[in-house]
Amino acid sequence: MVELKHITKVFNRNRPDEFTALLDVSLLVRAGKVTVFKGPSGSGKTTLLSIIGAMAKPTSGRVFLEGKEITSLSERFLTEIRRRTFGFIFQQFHLIRGISAIENVMLPATTTGEKHATLRDRALRLLDLFGLSAKARSRVEWLSGGEVQRVAIARALVNNPAVIIADEPTAHLDTRLSMDFLGIMERLNAEGKTIIIASHDPLVYESGMVSRVVEMRDGEIRGPRQSA
Amino acid sequence: MSLLERHRNIIDFALSSLGRRWKKNLALTLVYAFIVFTLASVIFFTEAVKREARAVLKGAPEIVVQRLMAGRHDLIPAGYIDILKKITGVGQVKGRLWGYYFEPSTGANYTIVASGDPPLEPGTIAVGQGVSRTLHAAVGDLIPLRGTDGAYVSFEVARVFSHASELVSADLIEMPAADLRALFGVPAGFFTDLTLKVRNEKELVVVADKIRRLLPDTRPILRDEILRTYDSLFDWRSGLLLVVFAGAVAAFIIFAWDKATSLSMDERREMGVLKAVGWKTSEVIAMKSWEGIIVSLTAFFGGILIAYVHVFFSSALLFEPVLKGWAVLYPRFQLIPHIDPYQVLALFFLTVVPYTVATVIPSWNAATVDPDSIMRL
Repeated sequence: MVELKHITKVFNRNRPDEFTALLDVSLLVRAGKVTVFKGPSGSGKTTLLSIIGAMAKPTSGRVFLEGKEITSLSERFLTEIRRRTFGFIFQQFHLIRGISAIENVMLPATTTGEKHATLRDRALRLLDLFGLSAKARSRVEWLSGGEVQRVAIARALVNNPAVIIADEPTAHLDTRLSMDFLGIMERLNAEGKTIIIASHDPLVYESGMVSRVVEMRDGEIRGPRQSA
Repeated sequence: MSLLERHRNIIDFALSSLGRRWKKNLALTLVYAFIVFTLASVIFFTEAVKREARAVLKGAPEIVVQRLMAGRHDLIPAGYIDILKKITGVGQVKGRLWGYYFEPSTGANYTIVASGDPPLEPGTIAVGQGVSRTLHAAVGDLIPLRGTDGAYVSFEVARVFSHASELVSADLIEMPAADLRALFGVPAGFFTDLTLKVRNEKELVVVADKIRRLLPDTRPILRDEILRTYDSLFDWRSGLLLVVFAGAVAAFIIFAWDKATSLSMDERREMGVLKAVGWKTSEVIAMKSWEGIIVSLTAFFGGILIAYVHVFFSSALLFEPVLKGWAVLYPRFQLIPHIDPYQVLALFFLTVVPYTVATVIPSWNAATVDPDSIMRL
């Protein structure tokens, strides 16, 4: 599905605050599996996610998506790929305040040229799937923590992506909400979605649904192992 | 179709984005609309008054001949009429009687002219709406006027000029020629000035030249010169008002520049989220451009509309003292609605375009951030 070959990512290159976030990382993320990147803060998990998700380009190395190299593509094409292939769930969820839940869910598809009504119906169906149809018109700042989390998941799914990328999704959730989140991910995985999560929460990387845990430290992969 | 839908969706989002920061955007739109309103009011008013003056002067004589004494306007002998009639190309020559009358109790200056058509009965006058208002005089009332001998003579108001002619008749008092001569002490055989009709307009300059040579103590004034004077008078007045408002315009530019070019942290974060969830840089810029265009067009058309109502329906109430220029006798008149598309277009390019560009530049900078930046917040 996604293959990384000798990826290195250096921030602030040739400046006094130069920092190497990833060093010679090679990895194959298989389709239909749940992969977790585990490691402490600053280990390079988020940077790795952004490179896999076509959000950032590596300083060196090559990225392949379904066998095609995407490393040298322009921002325009990378955006197209990102929109079509990946759905993102951010650590802080990053919903846009002041607009309704349904408007937030519609955001990734707003610029696809799809009819507004069709898009709205699809977003509503997604919210319904997560038991949020009654809150569709509510502004996101009025929603509870669990509701915000589910709106963020619905937003990640609106373009029907093949891959869901989640960055520390349980960092701000209590155990019950974390378990809910994992339940939803398991369901999506069962439907055929590839799930990639960065987390240092044992609830996540010890979960039974995880196919593979990749341990990271100081920008490098330390002994990947297949989970049970 | 898909492009239209895309922009429709982007506009929808831009509208909701404006709504989220409605206080800032409302303040910006109001100040912006006020500036457009002011500029458009001055432009509409000046242009309409100039058109009105041109329309009024269309019926005026082609040439007015005044006699000069020591460089000042003096009474002209009636004998000059025959001399002027002999000039080739001159049709009709008429003597006019008129003068100014200062009314100390109201502080108003009236223009008194000898009546023409229809003639007035001796001892009666016709007055303009401004005079009627200032003196509270209606038909049948008596108005005392002080003659050159210091004695007051009462005149009965026989007619009040219609509102339609108020721009030119507000300060006017018309009376029989004999009464005017008696009031101002104009001796028989003299007129205030003479008017000439010239058959061929192309000969005006030649005729004026002949008048100067035949009667060296006179000056011929062409209608076109009066028109030019009116034009420059109203241009000067509108210019004066614009200079006064230049401060306000400058304040607006600073305010708009600040509001339009500075993006709050919230806005930057929002643009980061949009990029992260799959918006292209060009789409984020398009969204911010639509925001600028919406604010700009709303303020522009709002300002133009209010200016239109202000000038053509409330007689430019706010700028009356400067633009109309009467001290006491403000004429109340309705200008004929007219908009010069070129002037509106010029105003559009001077307001909407720079504002929209000003909003796009900072958005451009913010929109080019890496989409992964949001993951580090």
